[in-house]
Amino acid sequence: MAEDLNGTGRAAPGTILAVGTRPTGGRIEPVGPARPGEPQLRWQSRGTTIDEIEKELGRIWAQPQTVFSRGGERGGRQAAARTSVMNLVIVAGDKETGERSAETISRLTGRHPSRTLIVLLADPDGPPWLDGRVQAHCMLPRADAPESCTEMIFLTAGGETGRHLAALVTPLLVHDLPVTTWWPGEPPLSTEPAGELLDATDRLVVDASVWTSDGLGRLRQLADLYDLYPRISIRDFALVRQSRWREAIATLFDMPDFLPYLPFLRRVSVAYGTRDEVGAPGSTNVVKPLYHVAWLASRLGMTVVSPLTPVASKAGAPRPRPGEKPPLHRGLAAKLRDPRSSEVAVVIRPVASSAPAGTTQRVEILAERRGSELRADVTAEAENVHVNVWLDGVQALDRTFKAPRRNDIDLLAEALEGGGGDHVGMDTIRMAARLAGARASHAVHPG
Amino acid sequence: MARTKPTVLKSSAAVPTVPPTDGAVGTTPGAVPATSTDKPATPAAAPAGPGIEPPASEPLTRPPAPSPRKDAPRTMRDLRLATEARRRASVPKGADNPLREGLRLERVPDPHIFVLFGATGDLAHRKVVPALYQLWRTHLLPHEFTLVCVGRRPYTDEAFRDELKASLSKFSRSQPIERETWDDMASRITYHRGDFNDPAAYSALADHLDAIDLVHGTRGNRLFYLATQPSAFPEIIAQLGRAGLDHEHHDGGWRRVVIEKPFGRDLESAIRLNREVGKVFRERQVYRIDHYLGKETVRNLLVFRFANGIFEPIWNRRHIDHVQITVAESIGIEGRGAFYEETGASRDFLQNHLLQLLSLVAMEPPATFEADALRDEKVKVIRAIAEMTPAQVRRDVVRGQYGPGWVSGKPVVGYRQEPHIDPESETETFIAARLMIDDWRWSGIPFYLRMGKRLPKRATEIAIQFKEVPHQLFRESASDPEPNLLAMRIQPDEGIMLRFGAKVPGLGVDVRNVTMDFTYGSAFQTDSPDAYETLILDALLGDASLFTRADEVEQAWSIVDPIIAAWAEEGSPDFPSYEAGTWGPAVADDLLAREGRRWRRI
Repeated sequence: MAEDLNGTGRAAPGTILAVGTRPTGGRIEPVGPARPGEPQLRWQSRGTTIDEIEKELGRIWAQPQTVFSRGGERGGRQAAARTSVMNLVIVAGDKETGERSAETISRLTGRHPSRTLIVLLADPDGPPWLDGRVQAHCMLPRADAPESCTEMIFLTAGGETGRHLAALVTPLLVHDLPVTTWWPGEPPLSTEPAGELLDATDRLVVDASVWTSDGLGRLRQLADLYDLYPRISIRDFALVRQSRWREAIATLFDMPDFLPYLPFLRRVSVAYGTRDEVGAPGSTNVVKPLYHVAWLASRLGMTVVSPLTPVASKAGAPRPRPGEKPPLHRGLAAKLRDPRSSEVAVVIRPVASSAPAGTTQRVEILAERRGSELRADVTAEAENVHVNVWLDGVQALDRTFKAPRRNDIDLLAEALEGGGGDHVGMDTIRMAARLAGARASHAVHPG
Repeated sequence: MARTKPTVLKSSAAVPTVPPTDGAVGTTPGAVPATSTDKPATPAAAPAGPGIEPPASEPLTRPPAPSPRKDAPRTMRDLRLATEARRRASVPKGADNPLREGLRLERVPDPHIFVLFGATGDLAHRKVVPALYQLWRTHLLPHEFTLVCVGRRPYTDEAFRDELKASLSKFSRSQPIERETWDDMASRITYHRGDFNDPAAYSALADHLDAIDLVHGTRGNRLFYLATQPSAFPEIIAQLGRAGLDHEHHDGGWRRVVIEKPFGRDLESAIRLNREVGKVFRERQVYRIDHYLGKETVRNLLVFRFANGIFEPIWNRRHIDHVQITVAESIGIEGRGAFYEETGASRDFLQNHLLQLLSLVAMEPPATFEADALRDEKVKVIRAIAEMTPAQVRRDVVRGQYGPGWVSGKPVVGYRQEPHIDPESETETFIAARLMIDDWRWSGIPFYLRMGKRLPKRATEIAIQFKEVPHQLFRESASDPEPNLLAMRIQPDEGIMLRFGAKVPGLGVDVRNVTMDFTYGSAFQTDSPDAYETLILDALLGDASLFTRADEVEQAWSIVDPIIAAWAEEGSPDFPSYEAGTWGPAVADDLLAREGRRWRRI
């Protein structure tokens, strides 16, 4: 599927058997019988204007050969159902991102039936142009069930055309269905073209952990979207990816012996991996570790007293001698206030690690209640999350949760599956932005 | 809260390879992260926290013996209740975990031991173990999960694991079996041989479970799953009680029992069984399983009714003409002759699956989506069905038994020719009934229920037949417009279909019936869980919403009992009464035809 993004107008010879009456393409004869679970390309055509593309989309469903397939034991025909539960828009800033996204989507075919539009922005300084490829993929969910078909539209927009995303996308959306926009890479969230598209978007999917620098500037922009587009729901892979940590921490406080300590947190510390020699602030994306703190703070109804600032190095610490490795930076610190007006210290600090930069290494929680102390220590590896708890210095829990890391396909599937608003996500992102220095404009809604 | 020192738990996972903390958390720098070993950590043995020595004698996990006061509780049950009351009182009122919201599962199942009675049987191999494998595969079981299989036949752990693996290769819905996943799960499976009547076997089982608690950190949580012959239920439950395996621990160790249907064979036996179960377990510990309630489409029925505003206003006697519920099976009795001779369609399907579906269709909206609120509304529906007199049974209930015929292009034998079946058997393999619900919403609206074996196809559907329009405008149409119909397909092709009239394109006004079809498979192609996976996970999470309560079971029997009694008085039926591969006896059609209706063509 990825090669569809590469061409500028011609299909690879021999790959398409066009039966339609127009030179732009049409129905594709299946090479063999449909097999359950395997999508088949059933239609491919092309248009260079939105009108042409719309006509091609209409043509697919007017062709009885496309929408009927052999079915059942009796060899009769079964109508292939066109199924759509959402519009999925993918905005790719470059060809490689587009190819990667198309590959991810291809693995999800059939799982989340949608009209998918993959928009590739190319040649921004050239003349305006548009190239659109329209495909229909059909799949048998089971051998004895009717086929279901979904559409995929590859749009490559050049010049001025690419700066009017909403004008490209809006006419091609299926009416009344929710619009999910997946914006891989670094979305220009504060630009006008992005704003126009987000105006028509119900759910935005991003991955803040790949943003450059510490990621906090764009994170503040992301949180602003909630105010600018009140109906938008945001799924950040950086947040979804860490749900296994949250599951483990939440399970810890499911236990009746530990739950009473939850309102009495005194300190939260998150260690993240860095490959920078000293892990200086700004050198590593810290969105993921920050989300742990923001999630806890927002669920527990805390407010920000002072946002994250670099921790000063210890007074009197010896300077490294020539040739000696400098010590790691002490990270960022902030202060929160809980609903009882007690202060909660926050530390986000780097540790040298071979893991991808910004990966959470450890979450430590300290709570004090009526003179009794709970200390929880959460770590994770590829397949498991470990939780250790000490009560007044005595180990009270050592538990391992089986929870493997998830890849982009799982994350996208989860982002698409989650329906409706996600106020836990919203509260977390807003709290993270506030910890990153954004002004508070909305209260969080603790559960 | 008066804190109780929890048991320290250890699991066998590797130590995470991360740098140790530099004292960012904790009042004392240099905190020592726990190291995992294969041994359980006890307060004395565990590595101490940051610089604090553990007290010389830590309290044990068992509650302290109650002081012999004058008003002290006297029975074990009182003791348990008192202990639980103390435990609950120590947690602040309304103390829900605010971190739970928005996570994938409402709650992750606690570490536990799954004790499977009847582990060598068909149900365990076909359904229960494949469901557990699927849950394990998808990481929905806790790391500490342990399965103890109890059966009468001699097996070594290894031999039994091999047998389970062979069954999984046949019955698991995920094929091929993932070797690494299975090996991981198999290491948590042990086989415990024992006769269900032998008290010593239960003592040994209790010791075995206690030992597992220590090694695997399963915290005293046990789910007893009875996948045995129904006749063994009372004995197993009584023995569990005698061995003290029902006792819940004060520090949160729960005990639950899952009981497979049929729950009793009539009202009297159901009451007796409920009483036996109640002597040992409290109702909240009992999970009576009816796998139909775990099916995705059945669960969707509640969503469909109560999450969509357009249906509820017309879901009543003013707009609905009648309701049909069909459970058609193309298979015969599949080698379960002895079982089926004891049950028949009325006990096997009417008393549970059919009445459960009926109650979900007819129930009032519950105030909350909680187990007891749901079950209260369901049981109200069943209570509103009037018990039948013998004359009403003769008029409104039809039974049948299949003879030889052809199904799916193959010849099949009649019921009486099946293995282990009495050649003169009077057991019904088909039942159709017309039931009336005497309440405000449904008064006067018949509910037609039918279930049969060796029918032409496998299909379970609920059809809501709406009333005709009050005035026909399109009499000139070539075909008569039919009233609207809403069909909910439970299996196969799970989905919902709405039939309505539409104008045929052209100059005249010709109306045809068209259908708008929503198929689960094409709209959501994500993998639907098997009913057993749903229900087992619910039981492990302590959610009883989809399980039947004692009063529901008894109430359902009070509807079925008079039918069976009336048949007993009638004398021998003229069986076989329908040919295999047909839609049941002709008299079943008469049940509707006499009121100008007909069974829906499926």
